Amino acid sequence: MTQTAHPELEGLGNYQYGWADSDAAGAVAQRGLSEDVVRGISTLKNEPEWMLDLRLKGLKLFDRKPMPSWGADLSGIDFDNIKYFVRSTEKQATSWEELPPDIKNTYDKLGIPEAEKQRLVAGVAAQYESEVVYHQIREDLEAQGVIFLDTDTGLKEHPELFKEYFGSVIPVGDNKFASLNTAVWSGGSFIYVPKGVKVDIPLQAYFRINTENMGQFERTLIIVDEDAYVHYVEGCTAPIYKSDSLHSAVVEIIVKKGARCRYTTIQNWSNNVYNLVTKRATCEAGATMEWIDGNIGSKVTMKYPAVYLMGEHAKGETLSVAFAGEGQHQDAGSKMVHNAPYTSSSIVSKSVARGGGRTSYRGLVEVAPGSHHSKSTVRCDALLVDTISRSDTYPYVDVREDDVAMGHEATVSKVSDDQLFYLMSRGMAEDEAMAMIVRGFIEPIARELPMEYALELNRLIELQMEGAVG
Amino acid sequence: MTASETLVATGNRAHSHGPGSPVPLQARNERPTSYDVADFAVPNGREEEWRFTPVKALKALFADEAGTETPKIDASGPDGVVFETVAADSLKVGKPQDRSAAVAWNHAAEALAVRIPVEAELIEPVHVNVASLGARGFSHLIVDAGRHSRATVIIDHTGAGELGSNVEIVAGDGAELRVVSIQQADHESIHLAQHDALVGRDAKLHHVVVTLGGKVVRIATNVRYAGPGGDAELLGVYFAESGQHHENRLFVDHEATHCKSNVLYKGALAGDNARSVWIGDVLIRAAAEGTDTFELNRNLVLTDGARADSVPNLEIETGEIEGAGHASATGRFDDEQLFYLQARGIPEDAARRLVVSGFFNDIIGKIGVPEVAEHLHEVIEEKLARAAELSASAKAVIGQ
Repeated sequence: MTQTAHPELEGLGNYQYGWADSDAAGAVAQRGLSEDVVRGISTLKNEPEWMLDLRLKGLKLFDRKPMPSWGADLSGIDFDNIKYFVRSTEKQATSWEELPPDIKNTYDKLGIPEAEKQRLVAGVAAQYESEVVYHQIREDLEAQGVIFLDTDTGLKEHPELFKEYFGSVIPVGDNKFASLNTAVWSGGSFIYVPKGVKVDIPLQAYFRINTENMGQFERTLIIVDEDAYVHYVEGCTAPIYKSDSLHSAVVEIIVKKGARCRYTTIQNWSNNVYNLVTKRATCEAGATMEWIDGNIGSKVTMKYPAVYLMGEHAKGETLSVAFAGEGQHQDAGSKMVHNAPYTSSSIVSKSVARGGGRTSYRGLVEVAPGSHHSKSTVRCDALLVDTISRSDTYPYVDVREDDVAMGHEATVSKVSDDQLFYLMSRGMAEDEAMAMIVRGFIEPIARELPMEYALELNRLIELQMEGAVG
Repeated sequence: MTASETLVATGNRAHSHGPGSPVPLQARNERPTSYDVADFAVPNGREEEWRFTPVKALKALFADEAGTETPKIDASGPDGVVFETVAADSLKVGKPQDRSAAVAWNHAAEALAVRIPVEAELIEPVHVNVASLGARGFSHLIVDAGRHSRATVIIDHTGAGELGSNVEIVAGDGAELRVVSIQQADHESIHLAQHDALVGRDAKLHHVVVTLGGKVVRIATNVRYAGPGGDAELLGVYFAESGQHHENRLFVDHEATHCKSNVLYKGALAGDNARSVWIGDVLIRAAAEGTDTFELNRNLVLTDGARADSVPNLEIETGEIEGAGHASATGRFDDEQLFYLQARGIPEDAARRLVVSGFFNDIIGKIGVPEVAEHLHEVIEEKLARAAELSASAKAVIGQ
């Protein structure tokens, strides 16, 4: 690694489609999905009976449900050629030093130890091969009663919370991929923030896919109790492989009265990953949910973080940025469901397509009868930097209440020659100028990110823009 | 148990994705069109293009049978315009995109063609009245404006019954054509229509859809360009009252370079189960460099129990465009405006009417046909008076 001001970012720049550790995963599960696989996963994890039943129900519903009749082309997924569970050979480590060298090496490239050193992250739950191997919570968090565990451990230690909340926001039969996740989920984060506790540093987790053709089906459950606050940060990276792999996560968040939760994610899966994720939060009265969603990598992403506004004065917000390069389709957006009076929501989406990539904004704002005085605004901006890329906007609004204010606006523009000329006449190279314009375009979202993530996002944009001109 | 046994036991998928999982359409132009009714199944309301529409009420217009009557069509116009009766499939600028359009295409006995000769400039508008006589019928109109001609054609739909219609519109190179389609049949009538327009090189088309009457009125308007420099202005006004369903579906397909499209639809809703649907699709194909497009839909919900759906969709396959955007908004009128007027001594009732007229005024001004504008003002006033009565009686009930 060369000497730079931000060595951790150097690592991020290089990992783009870099390395793959040797396939040392322990009990390599068979390819394809069957009842045996599901039972096997449950047995390996020593799960309670009710979880196994839920998994089997998920399997049944997955088989029965059709593929979505809208959205991206998913015909490239071969469900029969995916490993649904891969167990890491190592047990959960309690400190950084205990991690095996190749895993440590991977994380070095991801920049985790640096982040840790800077104490910018509160705890790191790094997911490696479907199972969390490294997990640390700072002691003061524990003292406050905050629970931050991987989901498997969470289920073991807090079964009562799981029985109450698991699958309560996203039911097992919500959609084909949520059913699949329920059947084979493994790993993910579990967070519980007690009443009134404000976690003032972001909690962070890294996920990685690292076995060819393995699916990553993490399951995250976050409960923010009354008047509490938490910011959870999730990042995804994956090295490139020969054939297509599948990532299908489910994230459930419960934001109780007056609480606030912010969920930040930037996915940078390699360009052969199908990223089909269901993310949903419920907000009680006066609660706020904020999704900050960056989609840079993957072959196909279909992801629409949702907020169900269930109590008066609840508020939902999504900031979404998508970048599609060659061969990529980012079908992202957001869903806001107003189910109570005086609720408000806002969606801001920015997308950039280049090199024949395709970005689609797909959103839904629903106002149920009785949700009077609700407000919603949706704003989508798309930037096209060449003539072969594609940008779509599919907003949907369903208003069943008269006393609401609803707005949607979208613009699609290209990088103008004037802008380029201006910057180049000041001595910038064309691709530098282009990257600067793109960074300026997404700036309103980048500035909402934690500092190290904003830097990472900018670096990723630069990488994506390399060779965009000429 | 092996994996394959499990598959059989749970009645599972034979292949990886399970049965009946086709790849979703990836662009609007991939949606099938056909002249053959058999190519479209009878809609059940779950299809993307029918999911907002009360399909149960439309059975008569889905049946592949001849009409029980022929609507009465009267046409008149200034010197120069030519009326002809031609075969329905003589032009084929349009191609049915759903079951009802295909049925209408095949069962309209013949088409009335309104021809504006080359370079003719008609000052007075051409009038075509399509009157349904209380039963089930089909109509087919062709409006063909020769190159460099100028004309206004007003198509007025009146009467009662179930009407399926196709309208084909051609604006020749350099022509300026204004087509106004008014739907004001009685409150029990049903009208499903497809309009297909082809805009020539440097031609300008103003297409106006005014929907005031009818239980279910659904107008699908498709616009294509035959050459560069075409300009289409697509305007719509609707006012749905209790029990009325007004639906507008637009598709602007930009395939030629340097063409413009500007869509503006405004609607008001008053009364229980008043319903409006607006779907605006714009596709800019890779070849359509220099395209400039904007779509705008505004809905004003005046009473409880009304519902407005508004879906603007934009698909863009090239970055070499002038500009593209859309906006849609649904809401109650601004209470502050109401307050402002009331503070100046205008009674609430009159203030409300002023606010609503203000909402419609700009679009009515753009229609560019004085007689239509006048008529619209009148009908909107009537509808507002009815809405005011409704809310007054509702208040009276609450007051008791």
